[in-house]
Amino acid sequence: MMLYQRTIRDLHQMLVDREISSVELTDAVFNQIDAVGDKTKAYLLVTRDLALRQAKAADERLRAKSDIRPLTGIPIALKDVLCVKDVASTAGSKILRGFIPPYSATVVERLEREGAVFLGKTNCDEFAMGSSNENSGYRPVHNPWALDRVPGGSSGGSAAAVASGEAIAALGSDTGGSIRQPAALTGIVGMKPTYGRVSRYGLIAFASSLDQIGPMTRDVADAALLLQAIAGHDPRDSTSSSRPVPDYLATLTDGVKGMRLGVPKEYFVAGMEPAVGQSIRDAIRLLEQQGASIEEVSLPHSDVALPAYYIIAPAEASSNLARYDGTRYGFQAGGGRNIIEEYMLTRQQGFGAEVKRRIMLGTYALSSGYYDAYYLQAQKVRTLIIEDFKAAFTKVDALLGATSPTAAFELGAKTQDPVAMYLNDIITIPANLGNVCGISVPCGLVDGLPIGLQVIAPGFGEETALRVAYAFEAATEFHKARSPLMGAAA
Amino acid sequence: MTAIATRYEVVVGLEVHAQILTQSKMFCGCSTDYLTAPPNANTCPVCLGLPGSLPVINRRAVEATIRTALALNCEIPEFSKFDRKNYFYPDLPKGYQISQYDLPLSRHGYLEFDLKGEGKRCGITRVHLEEDTGKLLHEGAIHEAQASLVNFNRAGVPLMEIVSEPDLRSADEAREYVMRLRAILQYIGVNHGDMESGQLRCDANVSLRPAGSAELGTKVEIKNMNSFRAIHRAIEYEIERQSEVLGSGGRLAQETRGWNDARALTVSQRSKEFAEDYRYFPEPDLPPLDVSREWVAEIRSGLPELPAARRERLITTLGLTPYDASLLTSSKPMVEFFEETVRLGAPAKTAANWILGDFSRLLNADRKEIDQASVKPVHLQQLISLIDSGAITGRMAKQTFEAMYRALDPSPALQAARDSTQISGDADLDRIAEQVIAENEKSVADFKAGKEQALKFLIGQGMKISKGRANPQRLDALLREKI
Amino acid sequence: MPEPESELSSRQVEHVARLARLGITPEEVLRYRDQLRNILHHIEALNRADTSKVPATAHPLEERNVMREDRREPCLPAETALANAPSRDDSYFKVKAIQE
Repeated sequence: MMLYQRTIRDLHQMLVDREISSVELTDAVFNQIDAVGDKTKAYLLVTRDLALRQAKAADERLRAKSDIRPLTGIPIALKDVLCVKDVASTAGSKILRGFIPPYSATVVERLEREGAVFLGKTNCDEFAMGSSNENSGYRPVHNPWALDRVPGGSSGGSAAAVASGEAIAALGSDTGGSIRQPAALTGIVGMKPTYGRVSRYGLIAFASSLDQIGPMTRDVADAALLLQAIAGHDPRDSTSSSRPVPDYLATLTDGVKGMRLGVPKEYFVAGMEPAVGQSIRDAIRLLEQQGASIEEVSLPHSDVALPAYYIIAPAEASSNLARYDGTRYGFQAGGGRNIIEEYMLTRQQGFGAEVKRRIMLGTYALSSGYYDAYYLQAQKVRTLIIEDFKAAFTKVDALLGATSPTAAFELGAKTQDPVAMYLNDIITIPANLGNVCGISVPCGLVDGLPIGLQVIAPGFGEETALRVAYAFEAATEFHKARSPLMGAAA
Repeated sequence: MTAIATRYEVVVGLEVHAQILTQSKMFCGCSTDYLTAPPNANTCPVCLGLPGSLPVINRRAVEATIRTALALNCEIPEFSKFDRKNYFYPDLPKGYQISQYDLPLSRHGYLEFDLKGEGKRCGITRVHLEEDTGKLLHEGAIHEAQASLVNFNRAGVPLMEIVSEPDLRSADEAREYVMRLRAILQYIGVNHGDMESGQLRCDANVSLRPAGSAELGTKVEIKNMNSFRAIHRAIEYEIERQSEVLGSGGRLAQETRGWNDARALTVSQRSKEFAEDYRYFPEPDLPPLDVSREWVAEIRSGLPELPAARRERLITTLGLTPYDASLLTSSKPMVEFFEETVRLGAPAKTAANWILGDFSRLLNADRKEIDQASVKPVHLQQLISLIDSGAITGRMAKQTFEAMYRALDPSPALQAARDSTQISGDADLDRIAEQVIAENEKSVADFKAGKEQALKFLIGQGMKISKGRANPQRLDALLREKI
Repeated sequence: MPEPESELSSRQVEHVARLARLGITPEEVLRYRDQLRNILHHIEALNRADTSKVPATAHPLEERNVMREDRREPCLPAETALANAPSRDDSYFKVKAIQE
């Protein structure tokens, strides 16, 4: 097996046993980036010098057997919405071209303390707005399973990198499904923690009450490790929870025997591909065979989750993106006769179409005369969705459903119709609104393209989601399937 | 003015923005000393609005706001939150200001003040908390400049907004309100009251309505008044202007006008090209505030004696006139100076006269605050003491005071006054020395026995007999000689 | 919810673009108008929910009173603050004139 095909845990053991060094490992991954990077366009920026410096430092720790942690020496990719001090960060947008943050995100600092190695900044939909990574201000990302297909979005670059061997693991961000959906479409594991579980300080904001950073990995245990490293209260983020972080590995292998798993009937949506639906049903049956009891549940307000999201997220985004005005950082159009003209030109040229659409939609939803009907109404619907999940979780321990209604679609297939694109997130959005956590785990191939099973657990119940996902993974081989770019085992 | 008064009722409301004297900014740990720091040296990712930054509430600023609200007799609701006020301006780094919209920290209070012996009360609509913006410098005059320069040191400094009900009925009342409000803010230690530097800012809403009418007239907002005097002049001007327009059958525009102090008039600020819509919504990055009754009680118990109470005390216990008491308590540094002077032994009335008379005259001419003067309570008390003992005349005292005021160190001038009355003549000193020796046999014996301390005691006795006017060095020499 | 007859107009699109300081061409106005109309049409489903008895969730977390002590922390040096400035004059950020 090639080094870049392995999991964090395997590699950790090899590093600790001194079978390999972090520098060797990092080089191996860079070689893979060189080999297939042009095909996937997963990275916007590769940080070779930084990575090698960190790898050497990690090797020191390993050699001295001092302060070795699960992620020491492991090469990780970071979605370009995460600030790394002195490393360019664009959030996938032209309006931040050239911006070099003078500080690092809290999760980045935590990974640095772990001794992780940063490979680079991955491509994403502009300001995390999108479900296919076709909204990147630079270039779209191509799915390693089929290069004419999208990897999903908005963390498409991170997903593609993990699926192609261009990273051992990655961090993404999820506001409406942007970790889970691309994970499903590229055959990897992706988790959205509960809102507040992971600090948002240093995450370039899209929707402040929905954004969460999470792991994108080869398997569930790796996801647990990565989550463990980044979770926890941060005084710099007033919305981070002060709840203690449990040991996510402690109950990981407990299995699902005796657990009650719910299947929301609303999640078998109209636009779902039949093959996807079938795979999900098979997955559910498998978990039943593993000892879980399955029951149908209802989340009655699922059908208004998407509309609520497409008010709340754009509204918050319209405000969060007001700071991109060309005066303190990033792109400045020049040529305006006065400051207002300058703002207009800079934002017209710097933002892509989807971002502009959402800014306008959000501005409209907050504007005088429309606030009650749109924003306030959406926030009330949010309460209903939260209540739906609470009610369901009095009956069951976790929920099961598809992550995405379809497998990866072709590049360009949905770019003409924004609503068609939005519908990709119809099953992932409720978890963002509902104050719960969710994980996507590979559950099969449809016409050679991966699909994912979504496990949703109560708020701050990440260990439950991980445990169910792990049990499913352990009973299947889907997570061992490799994309053509990742290659067959050596 | 009388014609106006009978035809129209003047309606004035004031909006005061007061910076809070915290060490650090409202939502980050940057220093708040923006007046002296080099440009953009007090900034960080949060107050610069860098991508990915997040705000964290400064507890002291919240408490200062509650303290202010209590001093202004406001209700403090149990729940409060921050909201985003969205608009674009180069001094606003995030493209929105974190402020408070529908659930401010306090509402429904009042401020009482006196005007010409009559007690007045002005309602306070609300006191809320927000962040200040950066500062813009214009290259050249604002309407000619090609570019503007931005300094974000001030961005994020905590700011209270104190909105009054439109209860004020004249420029006099408005000025008195602001003076009283300023005093209160000084007393509770949240603001020094410096209007020139922009630490305390005041905007006015002025309208006229036919006498007896309940409806409000067209409201005009007046900005750019940087002193009590400007507030008074601007409002008087505006009342005049509005009544002329109305009197000649014209209609008033609801607009914002800036006070131009040099030209003594208000000028219409060009109405904005686009109507602004602030699109307020709850700040998602900040959890709301539960303002418990215990917390409020704790803050209330920490309130110092407020101007009104202090004024009462000065009248009842020190026998000052209400007028003098009002003037003295209008400034915290001034009343503290006064009370210290009295504590050191000066009679209250005399101290008040000096402070409100000559001292204030000199301070006003220099546009200084009393705590910036070199004269300290001890100096004033000693001067008063010299007068009271008859050592110097009133006229001489005035000259001496002026000299004390102008010097970096008042002591020499004070000493000179003392010296001029000092007993240095040998005959007088001789008599005193003899008296001291005669009345203090034991000490004389002690000194003869070698105790230096005894001589000091004898000198002290000599000073007592001469009411402080003996020249101590000469007395020392004389006593040594004689003993 | 506004009446369906008040479909999003071009004028409203222009107004919203202005509020958001987004420069927009006349042709874009029409294109965005149509796209936004379509999106808003789907969003109208929001009306289906009975929200008469629920409060709005503005803050998903249970935390309240999250505050920090009033303590000075080191700031960025001015040069660092200005390092990303597209346009500067000495230690100031430089912007186009405010004149409207």
